[in-house]
Amino acid sequence: MITGSKGQPLFNQGDPIRPVNEHDRTTQVVDNEHIIRSAFANSPEKGFESLFRLYYLPLCSHAVRFVYTQEVAEDIVGDVFYQLWKTGAYATIQHTYRTYLYAAVRHRAHNYLRDELTGNRTASSLDQVDDGRLDETPQTLIEYDELFQRIEKVIHELPPQCQRIFLMSRFENRKNQEIADELGLALKTVEAHMARALQQLRRVFLTIGSILFVVFS
Amino acid sequence: MDDIVNKAVLFDYFSGRVSPLQKKSVESWLDGPGNRELYYQWLHEWEMSRLQVTANWQYAYEKTMSRLTDSTDEPQEEQQPNHWKIGTLRQWINRSWLIAASLLLTLAVCSWLFRDVLFYKTVRTGFGEIQSLTLSDGSTIVLNANSSLRFLRFGFGEWTLPTDASYQNPRTVELAGEADFSIRHLPDHQPFIVMTPKGLDILVLGTQFTVFSRERATRVVLRSGSIRLSSQRKNERPLLMHPGDLAVLNQQGRLALTRTAHPETMASWKNHRFTFELTSLREIANMLHENYGLTVVIENPQLANRTISGSFTARNANEILQLIAQLLQINYARDNDHVSFTS
Repeated sequence: MITGSKGQPLFNQGDPIRPVNEHDRTTQVVDNEHIIRSAFANSPEKGFESLFRLYYLPLCSHAVRFVYTQEVAEDIVGDVFYQLWKTGAYATIQHTYRTYLYAAVRHRAHNYLRDELTGNRTASSLDQVDDGRLDETPQTLIEYDELFQRIEKVIHELPPQCQRIFLMSRFENRKNQEIADELGLALKTVEAHMARALQQLRRVFLTIGSILFVVFS
Repeated sequence: MDDIVNKAVLFDYFSGRVSPLQKKSVESWLDGPGNRELYYQWLHEWEMSRLQVTANWQYAYEKTMSRLTDSTDEPQEEQQPNHWKIGTLRQWINRSWLIAASLLLTLAVCSWLFRDVLFYKTVRTGFGEIQSLTLSDGSTIVLNANSSLRFLRFGFGEWTLPTDASYQNPRTVELAGEADFSIRHLPDHQPFIVMTPKGLDILVLGTQFTVFSRERATRVVLRSGSIRLSSQRKNERPLLMHPGDLAVLNQQGRLALTRTAHPETMASWKNHRFTFELTSLREIANMLHENYGLTVVIENPQLANRTISGSFTARNANEILQLIAQLLQINYARDNDHVSFTS
């Protein structure tokens, strides 16, 4: 459960890296892919189920870093799985399922954010993505990482009340009026805080998002 | 470059804590063969150790599956992957036939594989979630948190052409967890059966009642109408319930009947209300575990035996935790799904 607005830190920025036996960890994760492949060999249904079990939650968690709404994040991840099945791409995946899924989710999350912040969302803009044919260069990988890091930073640096209202609105799915009632503020104030938060996000997107926009359009 | 970039560096990089030079070396490292795979593997591990949300993958899986089965009505052209490179017209015709045939085959195989998903619908609620639904026969059901209901997707309650055969074709649902039922009485007296995992079946004609069927106990409370309970144990006679009756299936699988003055309190969760009647903190801890997925630790047995009475409104787990702490004048600490009560 997200408890960002209750005062617990939402981001573990200061998280120290725990010393782990790198070799062991690596083989364990590779084995996961192996398990999925053998599950797919058994039946596509089983394979699909194990994909959901292993990757659904971390993928949602990653998508949230971009779109900052759990519902949207789950929709995006759901769409990626849906397309993976519907186009039959699961049978012809070149590398690992993990790479396919993460790349597709990041790409879609990015597009969603671009459309939300530039205000030209169309109903079909999310469906016309071909998840299997993303040409990722090291630059695009890094630009995506920079994007979610900057978003996190922007939200981190919002004034406390503004941040609280933003997270309540996005994560707890509350209406502006409900937030106003709970915090004892005027509706106008809440709206102003939301507008401010979105304005800050838009600024981030315009500085680096425009580069990606050129790459993928 | 490989010796500069390792997992620790990449983790720092994901967290935005590397120098511009390190970032540059990550970029050139990404160009190396196979390193994109490794990048995503480490991104996955990094994400796994810093999860930001909780989500129910089973629910999402079933939703996606039913979305896939629903979309089989679409014209087949739409299912064609749209990035096919099309050469000549003739090639295109051949290929589209091939695609149509293989799609049909895939559809047939899928619908056989997912026949359970196809023919049955399962509605599942997550922790802290309450959902109400209306079945095609007009009956309404409210599901409490962490519960699931499985029923026929198509033609629910409609397979009763000969009137005398209606008893052979009851409307049947399977419940795991907790739910409140308001069953519509049909003109042909077609019965409604609620099946529970512990083998207790509830036969209904048209009435309102609440079922609690979880690991620790199975309880049924009747508000109006009449229902018949039958246990799958041998030698157990079916039990007829009247309004205000509370039936409890004990650990040995025996049914016992008592009266309750307020049958509606067992369904007060529908309005986010919690009704306690000398309810011990231990029982409340069980409820928190079942409804919100919390693991509750109580400092000592004396504290666990303290009781609460009254009816309270709480919209989420935090509200109810605060309420309990205030009422009993005790402290609690919550760390994600772990809660501890101390006096």
